[in-house]
Amino acid sequence: MADLPLQQTAPSPVPPRVPHVPWLSRRYALELRQQLGWSQQLVIFVMSVLVGLLISGAILVAAGVSPQDILNEFVVQTLTDPQNLRAVLFQAAPMVMVGLAAALAFRARFWNLGLEGQMVCGAIGATFVSLHEIGPPALRLWLMAVCALLAGLVWVVTPVVMKLRLGINEIISSLMLNYVAVNFLLHLLYGSWKDPKDAFPYSAKFQPFERLPDFLDGFSSAIVLSAVVAVAVWWLVDKSRAGLYLRFVHSNQRVADAVGVPVRRMVLGTVLLSGALAGLAGFMVAAGQEGRLTQAFYNGYGFSGILIAFLARNNPLAASAVAVLVATLFVAGRSLQVFYQIPFSMVQLIQAILVICVASSDFFIRHRLRAVGSKG
Amino acid sequence: MDILTNWLGNMPGFAIPYALAALGLIVSERAGVLSLGAEGLMLVGALAGVGVQLTVHEPAIALLGSMLAAAMVSILFAVMVVWLRVNQVIAGLALVFFCQGLTGLLGSLMGWTNMPVTGLQNLDLGPLVQLALVGGLFRQNTLVYLTPCIFGLVVWYLNHSLSGLRLRAVGENPQAADAAGIPVLRTRFLAILAGSALVGLAGGYISVLSTKLWIAGMTGGRGWIAVGLVIFARWSPWRAFAGALLFGCIEALIPQMAAAGISLPQYFVLMTPYLVTLGVMVWVALAGKGRDQTPGALGEPFLREERR
Repeated sequence: MADLPLQQTAPSPVPPRVPHVPWLSRRYALELRQQLGWSQQLVIFVMSVLVGLLISGAILVAAGVSPQDILNEFVVQTLTDPQNLRAVLFQAAPMVMVGLAAALAFRARFWNLGLEGQMVCGAIGATFVSLHEIGPPALRLWLMAVCALLAGLVWVVTPVVMKLRLGINEIISSLMLNYVAVNFLLHLLYGSWKDPKDAFPYSAKFQPFERLPDFLDGFSSAIVLSAVVAVAVWWLVDKSRAGLYLRFVHSNQRVADAVGVPVRRMVLGTVLLSGALAGLAGFMVAAGQEGRLTQAFYNGYGFSGILIAFLARNNPLAASAVAVLVATLFVAGRSLQVFYQIPFSMVQLIQAILVICVASSDFFIRHRLRAVGSKG
Repeated sequence: MDILTNWLGNMPGFAIPYALAALGLIVSERAGVLSLGAEGLMLVGALAGVGVQLTVHEPAIALLGSMLAAAMVSILFAVMVVWLRVNQVIAGLALVFFCQGLTGLLGSLMGWTNMPVTGLQNLDLGPLVQLALVGGLFRQNTLVYLTPCIFGLVVWYLNHSLSGLRLRAVGENPQAADAAGIPVLRTRFLAILAGSALVGLAGGYISVLSTKLWIAGMTGGRGWIAVGLVIFARWSPWRAFAGALLFGCIEALIPQMAAAGISLPQYFVLMTPYLVTLGVMVWVALAGKGRDQTPGALGEPFLREERR
């Protein structure tokens, strides 16, 4: 007993050797990270996207597409073939719209899953103007766009009012309205709006002046329109007073309310704008790609909008960039469908895998594992 | 009279998928996990059921296959929300779209699309079939009779067993449950798996026993309606059962009206289940004020280090 204190106080000349414990038999504890530098965050983000792409690539290879063809379809074609680049940008225009629509709604903490329904209503609104020949030909296209905006806006009124007045979960209500809108679309296309010329369920072709014209040779003016809207939305959420209020609302509604931010009005306005943009996306597909009202044009846009907003962290400019990438995926997916008989659901699967990977990678941004000694 | 009899006879076929899916959702939501993935898991169950049925031609095994497949896919969701603490809304949506893509891809690559399968034979309950009006209710397949039993079992489990009490504790207050020594994460993980198996069974019912074939996206939003149904039922299994019967009655009415020669615009009739869902949600919001029975920790990830 007597020599124990001496042993404890005596400085040891060499630090005690820590026995090596194999990685798997160490005990780990989860720790919350306070803050991670943006460069490390970027590395984790890029890694997770790469993992997602690798998994998707593996599935494609398993489905019978050779790795070389994948690279060719997704990268080489897009970058080298101007025809393909035009197709990608043309596809990107409505993608940017739904991405912005989702980002706006998410900034107001509103899960707008009704993007597809709002798109359908927008396209129906635009087609209504075309079929009833409202307004002079010179103004027709503008009238169609305005009508699409309003129709999309009207379709989001129900879920947002139900949420603000009654506290009803907007996820279910906005989704239910998608099915209602699609059934209404089918009612029109199999009924009074069916093209009298043939038996297919689509409306009569739009007049040439009701189509979105080319801006430069082969580049649709839809691209310019979506770029303008993207910059406007960026100004709105990043520079304007409303954007500042919206950031308050996003981070803490109760505090925002206490300091005098008109929370309800902000949420209402933002969500209505979100619906209007989705309606405009419907107009772009109808008056751009299709040239008429068709029965499945909206397919896949709803989730793509959510994916774009999620990957872009609700930033409008980043959303536009992500939208171009998702458009590449869509265009490549269509050619895989034609040349390799891979169903278009593959595109949906790839997007879901990307979301799963990126969402899971957040764990490594917010937590870290630390070894706390050996088991047992 | 005939129409009424037929209507009641067809009703269980439409009601059972809603009931089973809602029950599965209640199991995982009572453990505090918001399961938005029902629509996707139903699709997985539906495809797996048809796939197994085409291979082994035995409906009971096909339905087990649906349950197993949905539980397997839900492991992905469970890992995301329980261990990696991903936002449960994002994870649920991603799961739905993952399953839609996966089933669409597999269904066409394996050649299972539009291949008719044989379902279960109907089982007559002797003299009860002769009853006027309600006789049709007693000429159903075995799973219809089993469903109330499954409900009884789950209700007994949730309300009267120790393990069920722990499951509810984890959903109401995970911090307290953790302090009492209940393994929160493991409980949630298992609740997700068990609940998803029931949701998968609902999907298998639709494909193997009702339509008897697989078409991509065939559940048509029934999973989402089930999510709404759980809110309507305020997380009580028997109320969910009653709600499912209500939806079954509405859906069974659609073909009966056509048979009776009442001509209504077809697509407006097809809107009714979705509009009714909206309607009941409004009704719950107006009637249920102050009687909030949402599980206390629904949608919140649990991390012991994040003490509040």
